[in-house]
Amino acid sequence: MNRLFKKAFNDLRGRPARSVLVIIALIVGMWGIGSIAVSYTVLKNDLSENYLKTSPGHVILVSQSFNKLDLDQFRQRPEIASAEFRDFSIERVEVHKDQWLPFWLFGVEDFDRFQLARFYSEQGQFPPPPGTLLIERNGQLISDLDIGSIVRLQTANKQIQQVPVTGIAFDPAQAPSSMDYWIYGYVDKQTFHNLTGIKNNQRLVVRFNGVYSTQEVRVMTQHLLEDFSAMGIETTKVTLPKFNEHPHQFQLNSLLFLQGGIGMLAFVMGMILVSQVMSAILAQQVRQIGILKAIGASSLQVFNSYLVIAAILGLIAMTLSIPLAIISGYGFTQFVAQQLNFEVLTPRLPAQYYFLLFSIGLLLPILASVNVIRRGVMVSVVDALSDYGVTIQNESKKLMQLPFSSTTMLAVRNTLRRKRRVMITVATLALGVAIFSTGFNLRQSLVNMLDDIGHSLQYDVRVVLNTPLPESQVFNQFQGVDNVKQIQNWSGAKGIIQTNQVGMSSDTTIVALPYDTNVIDFEMLAGRWLQSSEALEIVVNQSVLESFDEAVIGEHYQLSIQGKLHTVKLVGIAREFALPTIYMDKAQYEQQIDPQGLAKTVLFVANENSAEEVAALKKNIERTVENAAIKVRYVTSHSEWAKILYDHLDIILSLLSFLALLVLIVGALGMASATSINIVERTREIGVLKAIGATPAMVRQLFVNEGMIVIVASILIGLLVALPLSVLLANFFGDLILQVPLNFAFSYPGLLITLITCLLFGWLASRIPAERAINVSVREALAYE
Amino acid sequence: MSDFIRLNKVSKWFDTAAGRFDALSDINLSIAQGEYVAIVGKSGSGKSTLLNMLTGIDHPNEGSIKINAREIRTLKESQLARWRGVNIGIVFQFFQLIPTLSILENLMLAMDLVDVIPRQERRERAELLLSQVDIIAHASKPPTALSGGQQQRAAIARALANNPPILVADEPTGNLDSRTTEMIQMLFSQLVNSGKTVIVVTHEQVNNAGYDRVVMLSDGCIVNNTGPMETVVSHSQGALL
Repeated sequence: MNRLFKKAFNDLRGRPARSVLVIIALIVGMWGIGSIAVSYTVLKNDLSENYLKTSPGHVILVSQSFNKLDLDQFRQRPEIASAEFRDFSIERVEVHKDQWLPFWLFGVEDFDRFQLARFYSEQGQFPPPPGTLLIERNGQLISDLDIGSIVRLQTANKQIQQVPVTGIAFDPAQAPSSMDYWIYGYVDKQTFHNLTGIKNNQRLVVRFNGVYSTQEVRVMTQHLLEDFSAMGIETTKVTLPKFNEHPHQFQLNSLLFLQGGIGMLAFVMGMILVSQVMSAILAQQVRQIGILKAIGASSLQVFNSYLVIAAILGLIAMTLSIPLAIISGYGFTQFVAQQLNFEVLTPRLPAQYYFLLFSIGLLLPILASVNVIRRGVMVSVVDALSDYGVTIQNESKKLMQLPFSSTTMLAVRNTLRRKRRVMITVATLALGVAIFSTGFNLRQSLVNMLDDIGHSLQYDVRVVLNTPLPESQVFNQFQGVDNVKQIQNWSGAKGIIQTNQVGMSSDTTIVALPYDTNVIDFEMLAGRWLQSSEALEIVVNQSVLESFDEAVIGEHYQLSIQGKLHTVKLVGIAREFALPTIYMDKAQYEQQIDPQGLAKTVLFVANENSAEEVAALKKNIERTVENAAIKVRYVTSHSEWAKILYDHLDIILSLLSFLALLVLIVGALGMASATSINIVERTREIGVLKAIGATPAMVRQLFVNEGMIVIVASILIGLLVALPLSVLLANFFGDLILQVPLNFAFSYPGLLITLITCLLFGWLASRIPAERAINVSVREALAYE
Repeated sequence: MSDFIRLNKVSKWFDTAAGRFDALSDINLSIAQGEYVAIVGKSGSGKSTLLNMLTGIDHPNEGSIKINAREIRTLKESQLARWRGVNIGIVFQFFQLIPTLSILENLMLAMDLVDVIPRQERRERAELLLSQVDIIAHASKPPTALSGGQQQRAAIARALANNPPILVADEPTGNLDSRTTEMIQMLFSQLVNSGKTVIVVTHEQVNNAGYDRVVMLSDGCIVNNTGPMETVVSHSQGALL
């Protein structure tokens, strides 16, 4: 081996701890960017591919006159890729004793021949024999249902029916049951009709040829509707699913965004750490660099020898980091796939990704080290040979006097001797503190949001009826239920805001409630809540805004309810974490729209509203519903609803916490590295201190004090940065997942945890290297060169 | 003898917090090829700075330095490093051997850097040099395993690795006992006899060491530039250190 390279290699071997630190830093950096490359590639492709392989419909049309349609002929149209009747109804299924969830029941035209909206057999029989059903596999995570179970089904028109489960299906096109808390079931057409009483073939799913955007789908749908109208087919509902996008793509996007951020940050942190550790290595080598140059080595020769070492360390780190990146990349992918209920279709990375990972493995150490090495070897021979560590250059100004002890002043001044180094250390640590604190603040924002829900929803249990009932009947049925303080009935229907674009507006739930109701108290994003008024006023939640061409407070809009148009005035937009809902005053609704006075939604306020009492109340209500054969859509407590929302965000917040810890650890490693450089550079100074009376404990404490100054500065800066960062991320994630920004909230427990964790990390990062300082003998230190 | 080394009006100063410090002032010095020159003076007189000028380790603020008719100030950093490796062997006071290479490898490293000695001859040459300084038995040991005298002999061998015409030594015996000092001085004399130009910065007694000339520095100026006996006379008239 070339002697120069051998020298550099032996230098590395002589300091195994430092070499290991470089390798760890490289692994962190490579793992970060490598695992992004793996999971991003797989996730971005696989969720989409899972979804697209099901051949999802572009438009779903509902009509009671599809008997006029010759489906076979319809399918021959050039613009139609495929079309199929897929019956659908939302019923209720008992998932545990006395616990019911919404049940999305699909009636399939032909299990052996379906061309679109495909799902797959996971287990058991496929197709299900008549009179039996398949359960989507993800539903098993929130229920006791399995092959052989007899499900208790409550449908709109019938009593409780018992239906055997004969198979488990996998339907990757649906939102995961475990996230949205409903179950999917699949039966043949006849069974669908038998269970629900609903006529078959009223719901047509269509997939077009040659469309590449939502707008093109709209155009095609418009033509279709015109054709249907000409055929005498009256379409009562048009739904345009998001074009080629899984229902929970938004969640994946936010996870990918966060993961991308984590990975890039790990890469940058890894580079910073490598740079700091290489600085430490070169700090010890200054004299030797001088000697090499004195005996004939050019700067380039010396530079190359250290660069090759950096590359060798990179290669060593790669042997660990590439498998780690692949494992963690796939691990994360599997985790997400499980959460979002899809299959990983890319079991092996394409060859070019291995090449990419290898290139990163070589590039990272070189990029991270090149500047440090360049600066290290550019030192002149005379400076290198006369280097005894830190010197104060041209310090002619008077030193600031502060009312601290001489040892404290020494620690303060020592900290500021290498300004560039301390700035990098502080910046890295501050970033870790900022992200750590932000994670807690985001969590607090989420908790506060859930509290807001609690305050805005003053009821404890909500029952939505399938078939509206006279109010008196409702009261009679439920007045015997224990622990009920108040029952309030709301009426309502489904309506469509009239817009200029087909499919822009779908059926929206209209809730008619007393304007002065005491069971809800929404935060208004714009305008005001309902008032007693002659005009028909509406308040919408923010989810409805998509239905409007442009929502303007005070403007009038056309609202179609049961085929009749009504002019309504938009008076407010409420902040509500729910499906699109339009609110109007019950008195106005009954006066102008539907005078029948039927209850559609029943709200219960409990006397005792602890979690256990409310859960018991809900069960009692379910029993009453079952016994009275009341047809309900769902029964839910608002704490269940809050849990669903929390679960949506929790995965993201957990990832953020992991990121924060990673950044903190890397920051602490960087600080430890900077401290050890300081100790090396000040070996002679340590000898002098010991020679004039400093005990080993005093010397150690000096370095610990310097480290604590750095960590305190980092904490202060980090906490300051955390404030705008928390606001930014609260807005971002709230918008992304809940369509409403989360309000910023500061977490005091989080502040305490951040302080304790960061102080502890900082103390360790200075205490451990400081042990080395006290082990140097006076004689060695004074003779150090 | 013609000037092999010529310093003409060389000055070097340093700007410090306390103001300008003149390390060398208007130095004129000629050294012929094959001369054995001692540079003496008190601490802070500018001896090491003068040595740094001669080796190109540092550059003067004014004046010119010609070695073998080459103005070394015109050389770029990388050219200077190579020139130094080929033309000047440097012996440091604290040996400055590379601690992570064996003695033999330290010598071979010096040859690797300038690539003057053919690759296949380097090991043999290194072993020969180590034999000449009588430490061949320690060839495979690291420097820390050798005594001070042995390390300094290894450093001298390294300085000779590329067969440079000039050997420069900065207080080569400053850390050695008198017996070893004598041994090192004999080595230098042998090198001079073999035709090398040897320049030594020293605190030691300069008579009986075989120097052709002694250059005495004081406060950055040459105050004496004569034969060794004349320098002894000058010394007796004032403290040397």
